[in-house]
Amino acid sequence: MPRGAGAATAISPEAVIATWYKLVLELVRHTATYSPPVASRTFGYLGVTTWEIVAQFDGLTSLAGQLNDLTPPPVTDRSLDQAAVLHGALSTAVGKLFENTGPTGQRALKAMVEKLGAKVAGGLDPVLAKASLNQGAAIAGHILDWAATDGGAVVENMGFPETYALTDGPAHWVPTSPIRMQQLPLLPGWGKNRPFAMKGDRPCGLPPPPDYSEDATSAFHAEAMEVYTTVKGLTDEQKAIARFWSDDPMLSPTPPGHWISIFLQIADRDKLPAPRLADGLARLGVAVADGFIACWRVKFEYDLLRPVTYIRRLIDPKWDPLLITPPFPEYPSGHSTQSAAAAAVLTAMLGPDFAFEDATLAADGLPARSFTSFDAAAREAALSRLYGGIHYRAAIERGLEQGACVGAFAAGLKTL
Amino acid sequence: MKYLLPLLLASPALALAEGPAVPNFVAETGGIAHQFTGEWEFMVGGGVAVFDCSGDALPEIFLSGGTSPSALYRNKSGAALSFAKAEDSGLEMDMVSGAYPLDIDADGITDLAVLRVGESRLMRGLGDCKFEDASATWGFEARDLWNSAFAATWEKGADWPTLAFGSYIDRTEDLFPWGTCTENLLYRGKKGQFGAPLPLKPAFCPLSMLFTDWNRSGTPALRVSNDREYYKGGQEQMWHVAPGEPPRLYTPDEGWARLRIWGMGIASNDLNGDGFPEYVLTSMADTKLQTLAEPGPETKPRYADVALAKGATAHRPYTGDELKPSTGWHAQFADVNNDGFADLFIAKGNVSEMPDFAMKDPNNLLLQRPDGTFEEAGDRAGVASTLTGRGAALADLNGDGWLDLVVVNRNGPTEVWRNGGTAEKVNWVALVPLMEGQPNRNAANAWVELRAGDRVQRQEVLIGGGHASGMLVPVHFGLGAADKAEARVIWPDGTEGAWTPAEVNKVTVLAK
Repeated sequence: MPRGAGAATAISPEAVIATWYKLVLELVRHTATYSPPVASRTFGYLGVTTWEIVAQFDGLTSLAGQLNDLTPPPVTDRSLDQAAVLHGALSTAVGKLFENTGPTGQRALKAMVEKLGAKVAGGLDPVLAKASLNQGAAIAGHILDWAATDGGAVVENMGFPETYALTDGPAHWVPTSPIRMQQLPLLPGWGKNRPFAMKGDRPCGLPPPPDYSEDATSAFHAEAMEVYTTVKGLTDEQKAIARFWSDDPMLSPTPPGHWISIFLQIADRDKLPAPRLADGLARLGVAVADGFIACWRVKFEYDLLRPVTYIRRLIDPKWDPLLITPPFPEYPSGHSTQSAAAAAVLTAMLGPDFAFEDATLAADGLPARSFTSFDAAAREAALSRLYGGIHYRAAIERGLEQGACVGAFAAGLKTL
Repeated sequence: MKYLLPLLLASPALALAEGPAVPNFVAETGGIAHQFTGEWEFMVGGGVAVFDCSGDALPEIFLSGGTSPSALYRNKSGAALSFAKAEDSGLEMDMVSGAYPLDIDADGITDLAVLRVGESRLMRGLGDCKFEDASATWGFEARDLWNSAFAATWEKGADWPTLAFGSYIDRTEDLFPWGTCTENLLYRGKKGQFGAPLPLKPAFCPLSMLFTDWNRSGTPALRVSNDREYYKGGQEQMWHVAPGEPPRLYTPDEGWARLRIWGMGIASNDLNGDGFPEYVLTSMADTKLQTLAEPGPETKPRYADVALAKGATAHRPYTGDELKPSTGWHAQFADVNNDGFADLFIAKGNVSEMPDFAMKDPNNLLLQRPDGTFEEAGDRAGVASTLTGRGAALADLNGDGWLDLVVVNRNGPTEVWRNGGTAEKVNWVALVPLMEGQPNRNAANAWVELRAGDRVQRQEVLIGGGHASGMLVPVHFGLGAADKAEARVIWPDGTEGAWTPAEVNKVTVLAK
């Protein structure tokens, strides 16, 4: 692997990337604006940042010109130290993308910059180390300048708008939470953000959900009844699946972070070299970010009510879903879309029958789950929303289809 | 418009809009000049304890100081508030985050449980506002923790209190402190000595605890409000604490429903008059007001959140130009306008330069209307300070029957307001339940009830809750325009005292 001339850094580029991402997964969980769409965006930009550095050191293909509006980043002198450039870049990028995190996050960021920085600089000529860190910061700055123009850079009031006109009519979303700020939907404009890799007008759109009906013989009513009866009769395994993929903001690394975590576990297990690690993080970040953009656009296009609203109105006024119903329209399921998008890129990268174990939530007391393929994991993640009582089947199935479409854009990027 | 005005004036809506009478709080430090200071390790805490140690019935004020020394202020108030800093009380110490008064040894002299970032201390009252560290004497095995919560009760048959100490984060972890919640401990004792503490496992970084008889069973449980910022796999908790048995968590099978919030403070009051306490839990960007979903003799601990319906979400500043979400800390129910309906005070303040949350975050004073909803009046009452509030206490500091207010601010001056009352002619009753000669001398977890006409108000005597702040003062009730009432105590052992006439506008001892 190319390294800076005379470099004797005590830590590998892979370790620098993995260590920073470990912190990022915590910061996502502990930064108040980090709802799943916001998290996905950050994973997109961090993945691209990481890739552009590794690609330069390894003579691989830049994503500039492939991703929408991304111009070539500053060129790196390959005599610089790769680990130090990565540390400089991730220090800058993570610092900026989490500049609003709380005091404990800021303390951890500072400690990471200093402690990991000391490891990175250990054994390096100080002039080389400084130049490497500066180059990393310059590349990160280039990516952050690009990020600033995508429409998603500013998130206020934890993503809830100050004003928003709810759509009239019984078919449409109404608040489901007793939390005051969640009386308006989360990030209604997110679907207008600039995608990373998706091209064209309204890419990866979806047909409408089944026609809304209160008729007990209608397809829509049948979907609601399926949610109702499923939740009423949940098995222990179904409950475990629902909770495993619940991925609530502020209580987990969120759905996109869950898939980043899956990939990091595989990378650690299989000792993926920096190009493979960075390639995966970039594609995965792009896939989940585009997944949320496509999904949110469709959510606010159809603006469908949640199962809890319909079921309490027409079937059982005392019914409770297993999971917390998210505060935005139902169709399609965001987790389904982004999980299928993630599975698409990981399958393209690692193969269709790639078995793995996912211990993302071990520290939360949820045991690891094993999967025979990324598709199997994505399907389980999608179905977990039915078990959780927060999505109808159409949102799950169309969400998976949408994710496959989104993932194809990310999988089609030229890198290695 | 001119044609509409008479109609509006005559409308019932306008009558409702008049709302509860707003008390006039007058900023009056009375000589208190104190700050709770510190950075990361003091981003939480900042408590105040209010209790009488001089014997003049005017409560003193003990203030935590963080990296600054804690301080006791003797109460010298007349009509105006006036305090004198005690220079040699024995309570001057560093790293103090909060405090709760209680009479541990039942000698009639109030002691103080002092929460510290480090080893907490049990300070024995010696009289005349002097204290000594009795931790070792009482066999209290303090541990070097970021102590953040406290509650106490006297279990049935016990001759010594049971103390619960909650702690926060492993403060040696700088890179990955999340998921490092340190231990919570339950100290039981007998014959003047605490035994080795029992772990309250799992521990989820509590910022408030409360022993409370939530189901009126006669055996208080321990409610713990936990900060989701730091736990993994955690939630709000309630423990069975049955005499002679290890503490045991309430489970989903018993009806306990999972709730995960940035739990910061707890307060309780029977707001709806059904005999069971409601609970308020402060948090960030939200407040929970919990009422039992199915109250009754066989009730399960399943709560409905009625904060939105009751107008008590206190989720963002209501005055000033900031629209970002709020950060709530100390919570306390108290009838500040003496109209007979418990009001709710919440101290507000940014954790520490969190840009997504209001930096100028006014305290809430939510006045309860007769229909059980709340109306914000902090600005009109004069307590809408935008300093970084943490702990607080509402207590009658000058004996005039109006509850005054102390708020501890992080890295800012402690604020004190004298409650100048309202223009209404209202009455009040203050009651001191007392079990002289018994271990639980101040009747912790007794229920004090006041009946005026066909309406009964009730409060549980609590040691714990709020945010790092406790009081040992008479139980205060507003009476509104009523000029007579009856009071009784349901004692911790379940004995129901007889209804007896309560002296209006006076402090009355109800002895068992």
